[in-house]
Amino acid sequence: MKTLFILNNPSKLTTCLEAMAKDDGLLLIEDAVILTRKNIERKEISLQALNEDVTARGVNHTDPSWQLINYAKFVELTLTFDKSVTWL
Amino acid sequence: MATFSLLITANPYSNQGQYSALKFTKAVLEAGHIIKRIFFYADGVLVANRLNCPPADELNLTKSWAKLAIEKDIELTVCVTAALKRGIVNQAEAERNALTSESIDPAFELSGLGQLTEAMLASDRLVTFG
Amino acid sequence: MKSVCFIFNKPPYGQESGKELLDICLMCSAFEMPITVIFQGDGVLQLIENQQPDILNIKNYSKTFKALKLYGVETVLIDAAGLEKHQLVTENILNIGEIANSKIIQNVIQNTDFSIML
Repeated sequence: MKTLFILNNPSKLTTCLEAMAKDDGLLLIEDAVILTRKNIERKEISLQALNEDVTARGVNHTDPSWQLINYAKFVELTLTFDKSVTWL
Repeated sequence: MATFSLLITANPYSNQGQYSALKFTKAVLEAGHIIKRIFFYADGVLVANRLNCPPADELNLTKSWAKLAIEKDIELTVCVTAALKRGIVNQAEAERNALTSESIDPAFELSGLGQLTEAMLASDRLVTFG
Repeated sequence: MKSVCFIFNKPPYGQESGKELLDICLMCSAFEMPITVIFQGDGVLQLIENQQPDILNIKNYSKTFKALKLYGVETVLIDAAGLEKHQLVTENILNIGEIANSKIIQNVIQNTDFSIML
């Protein structure tokens, strides 16, 4: 079953990625959106970030490896994947 | 159409989690899905305090949840153990514990942790905001 | 019945999250949900032997971890990388589960209906 990992704390990225398997998805929200500035080089998982949080923080020049999404798409993603885990 | 429940542990005025959860809840409803229950746990229960009094130019999270609950008929359930520790009590608990007054906003309901498990079993998705 | 996995990833006592997560776990066991418990990363510190939080006036819940089997929790996984990070060996921690690598942990997370961490 594919899992959507929701990450809000940028310092937890490493342990979060360790728990992720092929075809899982990573969604950055809140403070974690700062991670969109770089390419994390994980091609086997899908990479998304919540655009409102990106814009709110004035984060620009995001890396094209990240897809920026709105809340409607956030809801959709939680259904596209079989479940979500918020990596706190 | 899918059924969602939310687990919210974020401290209301220290973290962004409650703001994110509100936006997520609205997006779930706008997409035509169902919210089975919103369960407040750990520091998340603090949002149920009816005496919360943020400055007028800041979002009142307690009133925002209450408005949504009334308009959309959503269950806002607060973990009673986490709540009592933090001074969130209803009339019955206030009397039982010899406290001077209740403090819970009437849109929220105190209940046990079993309500979270029950919500999980009755929902397609559980999304946590911490 | 839907299955659930609980991921402990924080050290004990600095925050309440370990106890709070354990309480949800026990409640799910009362509903007879199939449960897996994972101690990942810093979460392995929850399992160090001889904890004495009572000297901090904090309740000791590490004993409850020893009782997880009694609560019907079949699988307990302890992250090998977490142990290595903190230079812990099996003799230093409660003997309540199997040491697992990240592949096994990924697999368990993928195969449960819900995953919760706090």
